[in-house]
Amino acid sequence: MKLIFNYNQSNTNHTPQENDVDLPEELKRGSLPLNDVNEIQIIRHYTELSRKNYGIDTNFYPLGSCTMKYNPRVNEDIAKLPGFSNIHPHTPANHAQGALEVIWELEEILKEITGMDAFSLQPAAGSQSELLGVMIAKKYFAEKNETRTKIIIPDSAHGTNPATAAMCKFQTVTIPTDKRGNMDIDEFKKAIGKDIAVVMITNPNTLGLYEENLSEIKNIAKENGALMYCDGANMNALLGISKPADQGFDMIHLNLHKTFSTPHGGGGPGGGSLGVKLFLEDYLPIPRIKKENEKFVFDSNKEKSVGKLHSFYGNFGIIVRALTYIKSWGVDIQKISQIAVLNANYLFCLLKDDFDVPYDRRCAHEFVISAKNFGEKSTINIAKRIIDYGFHAPTIYFPLIVKEALMIEPTETESKETLDEYAKVLKTIIKELQEEPELVKNAPHTTPGRLDEVKAARKLNLRWIPNES
Amino acid sequence: MNFIPHTKDDISKMLSVVGCSTLDELVSEFKPRLSELKLDEPKSEMDIVSYMTALSEKNSPMKYFAGGGSYDHYIPSIISHLVSRGEFLTSYTPYQPEASQGVLQVLYEFQTFICLLTGMDVSNASLYDGASALAEAALLSSAHTKRKGVFVEDGLNPNYFKVLQTYCDGTELYITNSIDQNTACVISQTPDFKGNIKNPSGLIEKTHQNNALFINCISDATSLAIIKTPGEFGADIVVGEGQSFGIPKSFGGPYLGYIAVKEFLTKKLPGRIVGMTTDDKGNEGFVLTLQAREQFIRRERATSNITTNQTLLALTTTIYLASLGKSGLQNVARASYHRAHVLQEKLCKNGFELINTNPFYNEFLVKSPKSTEKIIADLMEDNILAGIDIGDNKLLISCTEKNSLQDIDSYISKVIA
Repeated sequence: MKLIFNYNQSNTNHTPQENDVDLPEELKRGSLPLNDVNEIQIIRHYTELSRKNYGIDTNFYPLGSCTMKYNPRVNEDIAKLPGFSNIHPHTPANHAQGALEVIWELEEILKEITGMDAFSLQPAAGSQSELLGVMIAKKYFAEKNETRTKIIIPDSAHGTNPATAAMCKFQTVTIPTDKRGNMDIDEFKKAIGKDIAVVMITNPNTLGLYEENLSEIKNIAKENGALMYCDGANMNALLGISKPADQGFDMIHLNLHKTFSTPHGGGGPGGGSLGVKLFLEDYLPIPRIKKENEKFVFDSNKEKSVGKLHSFYGNFGIIVRALTYIKSWGVDIQKISQIAVLNANYLFCLLKDDFDVPYDRRCAHEFVISAKNFGEKSTINIAKRIIDYGFHAPTIYFPLIVKEALMIEPTETESKETLDEYAKVLKTIIKELQEEPELVKNAPHTTPGRLDEVKAARKLNLRWIPNES
Repeated sequence: MNFIPHTKDDISKMLSVVGCSTLDELVSEFKPRLSELKLDEPKSEMDIVSYMTALSEKNSPMKYFAGGGSYDHYIPSIISHLVSRGEFLTSYTPYQPEASQGVLQVLYEFQTFICLLTGMDVSNASLYDGASALAEAALLSSAHTKRKGVFVEDGLNPNYFKVLQTYCDGTELYITNSIDQNTACVISQTPDFKGNIKNPSGLIEKTHQNNALFINCISDATSLAIIKTPGEFGADIVVGEGQSFGIPKSFGGPYLGYIAVKEFLTKKLPGRIVGMTTDDKGNEGFVLTLQAREQFIRRERATSNITTNQTLLALTTTIYLASLGKSGLQNVARASYHRAHVLQEKLCKNGFELINTNPFYNEFLVKSPKSTEKIIADLMEDNILAGIDIGDNKLLISCTEKNSLQDIDSYISKVIA
């Protein structure tokens, strides 16, 4: 294991020599414990590390709820144009008209796709969008002098939903899932009341199923004065087909890095966004971008706004990529979702006789199957063995309500050929589980061996420490 | 443009396996939209490139003498070549560590770099940006001290203050004017918004006397190369914006928030953390660790709701720091310092008044003898952003190693013209 800190000192010539600074000793740094490493070694070091990593470019990567679709390279080129990448955020608006227009235009398109009346692109990721949504709900009810202390969340929801509610000091009311994979409507009816601020629903949900009782849920929520929030992480199923605002949602967040194909970058940067109905527009973060007489201007004059959420205006470079992507598709975007749904259902049909199927319904853009019939820990073993066959594992052990869950989201950019191969590999692994179980239990064999996560958490080693000498 | 590989034949074969006759039938369960979809016609790659290029040309890149949370440092070529590698670019959060050792090692190196630069014990694997990192630090302090007061020393970047205020309102913390037994944390920025480098020792002592946590927020990260580390001064938490380390200005994002703490706060950290461990053959390797803090396991009891972070920018920063090394980073910081001081001296010879009361690094505040609005407009004609107009004819000016002595001379000649 060679870290960048383990290389010998070498000669580098990146920067001209500069004289020391004239700071008082009490403010001045002592030693700077870094090395000088020559460029060729740095190139080799990080190229080598890249080769120890699976990405969409190298392997099919069907992580459920992450929408790992192909990332078109043209989007990268566009984001690197000097007129986008080299613009300082303190540039006065009249010299950054193109930048304001990019943000404004993506907001307009997202309004069209979701049916919402206003959008903010300030949130840096999905979870920050949720935080914004919950902050807006909190402020909205405070101004109406209504004390609402709880948020309803189904037990299939992403962990961010309850975590966000708790950050804003709401109590979460968890609703179980019914036999068809919907939020249990009877339990929902028992839980709803005037103390509920928000009903937070992921649609399609994390089981990959379209929520069938949405219109009844919406009616009941509205009767009780609660806001309807849509976690739009799974919007890749609905593009151009369904507009969440039509189903009664008051707010929705979209993850630009999922639905609109900006690279996931090993875990980020993501791109968030929050769309709201008209009556919530004034609560969105400042500054807003307005179009006035064909010019784009910043508007910070919003008394009701929850405030500011980002150091500047959001993840602009991600906004550029997402706009490029959506403009390429234009009015054809429903094809994205149709094929995403086709791919998921096709792979589901190829696998459903081999695995336990907790909810046997037509799925949306992803599906959940269970390996519980193969015994405890089968899912992790299968996931590790998949790596040996040159594919990435699905999301595993999520949602928490399905034992030994495998959550598979192929996305629309994968071919029938790839899906056929993936199904074949999974079937082969099941056979191996019966015939040569040790082979699966000790997987992976082609990469580093199975890593000890318990040891990592018990004997914390979170950084390299320099030798004192 | 179309990124779907399916032939018509594929689609009909797949539909028959699924038991549907058309794609429309497949999605018929989804409630159809009630209105028309008003979007443009699709565009070819060539057309989208010219459309977006035209938009980009409505912005004017210039010579920047403005900072205020985003600094125009030089970005070495090596960075984009390595960061563009698809194995990094198109991977995701390393849920399967065996297939993600590259990203995991990079993050371990990133955590190390942040610790070495700040003089702290532990760093996480990144947060969204400087402002949200500061807000997360306040939340961490509140969770640790079970208190709700947040004291902010004068001189915090106003954008950061606004974000902090938003987070405080939403999470039921409050900004306080006193440091006492209700104070969770004391926040101090270095260099502060006006560029002042203050010795925080007294404030840290007062903070600790009241059993609160001291948060040092760093503005231009390159300053860490020459200013005494927050760890040495006694900070409990250090946060900041990593944009200076190789990340394009890109109109304010995506940037890189970082947070580093003293060891006793390790388990309270928000976000992802990478740890070293061994595999089943005893070889060293890396995993995401302390995941029991996180939302996907702990749900409403998590330390934060963060899922996605800024890994690719942590990679950028790691390569930047590796590439510059000790001498490169020192030279960048020294050059930035010297250029700012040259410009400041020249301005003061021409009727400007320096407002800073402390030593400054690469950013300083001057009172102008003439309208700052006019100065900004005049210099804009030569594609120079003269600084940030903070009102009352005060101009906040920043330099980096990219502002050459020639640039400084043309700045001055334009100002006095």
